[in-house]
Amino acid sequence: MRCAIVGSGLAGLASYATLRHGGVPARDIVVFGTHADPTEVWRGRAAAIRQRRMRSESDGHLAPSSFPGLALRERSLRALAETATNRYRPSVELFLRHAAEVRRRSGWDESFVERRVAAVRAVDGGFELDGDGPFAHVLLAPGHPGLNTLPGTVHAYEPHEYEPRVAVIGAGMAAATEWLNALAAGSDVVSVRRREPLRRPLNVPRQLFSRRGLAEFHRLAPPARAARLRELAAPSYPDGREWDVEVPVADEPPAGYQVIAATGFREGFAEDPLLAALVDEHGVETYDRWIALAPDSTVPALTDDRRTLSIAGVAGQWAFPAADTIAGAKYAARAFLRRVCRTR
Amino acid sequence: MSYTLKGRIEARLVAALPPLLVAVTIHRWWAFELVALMLVLGAALDAAVYDRVLDYQPAWLAVPLGALELGLVLLAMRMPVTWAALGLFALGWLTAQLCGHAIFPRLQLDYAEAGGELGRAGALLAAAAAAGAFAGVAGAVSVIPPTVHLHGTVQGPLVIRHAQTLVGGIVKGGIVIRAKHVTLRDVTVVGGENGIDVEADDAMLLGVHVLGPKLDGIHVRRGSVMIENCSVAAPGSAWVQGIDVSFAMDKGMSMIEGCTIDGVREGIVTHWAMIDIRDNHVSNTALRGIDMGEMSMGTITHNTVVGSKNVGILCLDHSECDIAHNTIQGAPMPIQQQFFATAKLHANTIG
Repeated sequence: MRCAIVGSGLAGLASYATLRHGGVPARDIVVFGTHADPTEVWRGRAAAIRQRRMRSESDGHLAPSSFPGLALRERSLRALAETATNRYRPSVELFLRHAAEVRRRSGWDESFVERRVAAVRAVDGGFELDGDGPFAHVLLAPGHPGLNTLPGTVHAYEPHEYEPRVAVIGAGMAAATEWLNALAAGSDVVSVRRREPLRRPLNVPRQLFSRRGLAEFHRLAPPARAARLRELAAPSYPDGREWDVEVPVADEPPAGYQVIAATGFREGFAEDPLLAALVDEHGVETYDRWIALAPDSTVPALTDDRRTLSIAGVAGQWAFPAADTIAGAKYAARAFLRRVCRTR
Repeated sequence: MSYTLKGRIEARLVAALPPLLVAVTIHRWWAFELVALMLVLGAALDAAVYDRVLDYQPAWLAVPLGALELGLVLLAMRMPVTWAALGLFALGWLTAQLCGHAIFPRLQLDYAEAGGELGRAGALLAAAAAAGAFAGVAGAVSVIPPTVHLHGTVQGPLVIRHAQTLVGGIVKGGIVIRAKHVTLRDVTVVGGENGIDVEADDAMLLGVHVLGPKLDGIHVRRGSVMIENCSVAAPGSAWVQGIDVSFAMDKGMSMIEGCTIDGVREGIVTHWAMIDIRDNHVSNTALRGIDMGEMSMGTITHNTVVGSKNVGILCLDHSECDIAHNTIQGAPMPIQQQFFATAKLHANTIG
């Protein structure tokens, strides 16, 4: 077994599908994770906030190559016209159907092993995962380290109903979705936030999804890069009339209100036990709350001509600011595939 | 898509390959010119405008940008818009869209991430484009007709059977054009049954002078011709017509512009032809000054007809004539429409 993927979420599936597309046989890959269904965790969160449409666009899917996109799979002229004008948002239902198809076609279940990996140790010829291995190439896709919950509140990504009076803490996509949900449920809604929401179509400006913006980002010195990442982490949600609702704003949740915390996830490698242990044991370079990765999403100190340690998903933002998106997962996966192919 | 400059240029090179292939295949100068202009203007816009202004280019923007580039290319070519030229441009545009949105993302997983750069394939492409451009230039050079300079007087009749450009000189006894893409420039023809006899398509007669022909000064049959700044004078018989373009409705459009015709029986005559007749000076004809007849279609504009002894401008026999801004002086019947012809008149001056 040459390759291991640690994490069985969407980033894990995108990485697995990319490796398989690149000709790596299923018998050469093992996927360690806690859920056989790679959409399970994400689906639960999407259901909690009643999400119906993706924020991503036609190419925000899990198949290795971006063509055909989800708009083409809908086989409707309207979807194609919308994608040409950047107004297409695939439905959650379509996305999940497509994810199930990628799972089936890629042979994911052949490679999946249900196990939570607690430690990665560099050894001769690769890495041991909780003593198993060695694996020459390991991609860590541990996902978000947990919800950023607040005492006395229900988190937006936890199952909940809406009381007659609802205060929503936060100013990002989940918060905006919760305003709409609560209003649709007939509740009085108050937004509790410290800053006005940013409006932009995707998590980060579009040029940061391509070499055009990334080249400049990668040239930034560590302090400037960390500052840029903090700036990009500011909550945002898309433009569009469907999001434009009048909601009163307050500094604190008013008394007697149900408080929904749309406060996202805990942030930083230190919040993830696997990554924290990796940094501690191997002295991996970090900066602020990020592991300092090479532009190809690898950990420089633990990657050489014979072995690769890559990080995909939100923990890979040092290499790709939108690492917590599907595009980000595929960015790391493609670079990982190039290394695997080079050392085949 | 957020293109890098290199990605844009590579996409443009790819888009130019199919039109270049077509240009090499059809061996037409305008096609090479169009492809070269597509590349040069496009690359200039990429470097000077698009790369600076467009951090991100949504798919729909390809339509207005394509229209802008088409307009610039056609302006630079200074040729009439033809379906063939539009088709060649559209081929390049469609290739760019197909490659950018479907083929390259399918073949190269990180195509979008790479800002449209093709990596090693880009180097191969550059080599292919260079080879294609070389082949194109070589092809273009090979189809440029040779230029022959005449000095002094040549005894004719001269029969031209290959594409060429004939410049200067005096030809006695007439010239017969039997090949496509023949150009006569500043040639004087003296005598001959017809001064210049055109029996092929795409002839250009620029600044030619015909003296003393026995039948027609310029005689065009089953061909298409552009005649500019010519003169026909000193007819060799009482039956001479200045210029006669006939039996060419199924050929390309012909044009007679800026010619001076004097003293012949009829100045300009057409039968079953599509033609524009403009800015000519026709004087002292024994019959009609300008005669568009026998199911011809065309325009007769900004001409001066002086001293015609019969009809100044005649639209005859099912022809459709657009007659505007002409000046007719001294003709017993300045403008006449006959036998089911349709003539539209506008702003003509009768003196």
